[in-house]
Amino acid sequence: MNQAPLRPVSILLVEDNAGDVRLIEESLKTYKMRNLLHVVEDGDQALAFLRREGDYSDAPRPDLILLDLSLPGKDGREVLAEVKSDDDLRRIPVVVLTGSSAEEDIIRSYEQHANCYITKPIDLDQFSRMVRGIEEFWFAIVKLPPNVSA
Amino acid sequence: MARLLAVDDDPSNLRMLEVLVEQYLPQCELVTASSGQEGLALVAEQPVAGALVDVNMPGMDGIEVCRQLKADPSTAHTHVILVTAYEATSELKGQGLEAGADDFITKPIGTVEFVAKIRVMLRLIQAEEDLRDIADHLEELVEERTKDLERARAALTKHAEELARSNAELEQFAYVASHDLQEPLRMVASYVQLLEQRYKDKLDSEANEFIEYAVDGALRMQKLIDGLLAYSRVGTRGKEFAPTDTEALLDDVLVNLQVAIEETGAVVTHDPLPTVPADDVQLARVFQNLISNAIKFRSEEPPRVHISAAQDADEWVFSVRDNGIGIDPQHHERIFTLFQRLHTRRQYPGIGVGATIARVIVQRHDGRIWVESEPGKGSTFYFTISTRGEPVS
Repeated sequence: MNQAPLRPVSILLVEDNAGDVRLIEESLKTYKMRNLLHVVEDGDQALAFLRREGDYSDAPRPDLILLDLSLPGKDGREVLAEVKSDDDLRRIPVVVLTGSSAEEDIIRSYEQHANCYITKPIDLDQFSRMVRGIEEFWFAIVKLPPNVSA
Repeated sequence: MARLLAVDDDPSNLRMLEVLVEQYLPQCELVTASSGQEGLALVAEQPVAGALVDVNMPGMDGIEVCRQLKADPSTAHTHVILVTAYEATSELKGQGLEAGADDFITKPIGTVEFVAKIRVMLRLIQAEEDLRDIADHLEELVEERTKDLERARAALTKHAEELARSNAELEQFAYVASHDLQEPLRMVASYVQLLEQRYKDKLDSEANEFIEYAVDGALRMQKLIDGLLAYSRVGTRGKEFAPTDTEALLDDVLVNLQVAIEETGAVVTHDPLPTVPADDVQLARVFQNLISNAIKFRSEEPPRVHISAAQDADEWVFSVRDNGIGIDPQHHERIFTLFQRLHTRRQYPGIGVGATIARVIVQRHDGRIWVESEPGKGSTFYFTISTRGEPVS
């Protein structure tokens, strides 16, 4: 069985919509596992965070990335492509979490090795269940690689 | 003015020809040469329509002159009349023919014969010119037509490009609809619900009712957007047509509708169904929309739905018959309009997009869709699928 991690799990949320950020925070509050949610608002910030560049030199390496597709500037598709072609970062699971249910986004995300694709539900209860489901699945069920750089 | 050449080593013969031409053939201009070489040099200088060449000349004889005129492509069209002595052998005349001579005249040259032969020659030359004109004109016509065709093809190409661009724009629009319009909607719905959860105790029943309407509106808006998206994608997302076994297709559709069929106790039956050229995903959608409507708009009786097909000239006519509530004839056209509904949402849920999408898909298959129905007597939806098998854009 999985043991509870000694340190809180670390999640990077790449999301420009403050409303969605708040909803995810609210949903995580009620979750039993200790977690640290780091939020960045666009693709450039996300990559800087992951590569510990600039203001993010002390940033932790996240256990999981929650990635919105539509972001200002460099969008989520480009972030996904860069993460998955980076030898060091590609082992971090990426959950695409987006408003889009367009088939081309789903196909393209998996083609770029997204670990899963979720369309944000419009109903609040479903949204909360979805966020808790992500936590439950990725941190209690799934075996993740050790959180160290390659 | 037709230019004629006379070649003869005897000046008196040439003089006589000059007199004849002057007197009887005002439409001709005669040039003369006293030897074969001189004659060829004159023709090289300026082409002649016809040449009257004496066969029996010292040096280059008339047959050789004729041969050289006919061998050179620039002078080959010259009408050559060989002038032979009365006692000329048929062997000599044969050589003349072989050299390409067009006609023969015997010395001494009689006025009537000469004028008649020249006139025939002029008529021939005129006819040849007319033919060349006609040929030139034809060539021009062909060129013009070719240009017209090229212009038409360029226009078609441009049209196709415009169509592709407008499809791409429609795609972009559809994507914006699916993504960007949904986000604010989600915000409204989620936060109204959060408000409800957090402040339930502080709100009265009226406030909760308002919240319910707000959430319901947002959810409904989302369904409308999804419907619009599905509608806009019939044209842009269609596949090439392939032979489609509609009976197997129907089986798949019924699996999709299994829950609705079991819940309502519906009985769905069908006749043998054909294989038609179609986009199978879209055709399945037509069956699914029509059958689910047949089940949704049921009467007190458990729904009975029957699907059949009949072949017409160059199309199959499919029908989906039910024993449901039926439709007043005044609404038969209206039900195929986007977002058009005949009932309140409390009576029958839905956004009014199923029949519309069926119509657009059927039209892409070069077909028609219509309904025959009366209130209380069930409905039969008919649609045709062309057997020609080319998508209509």
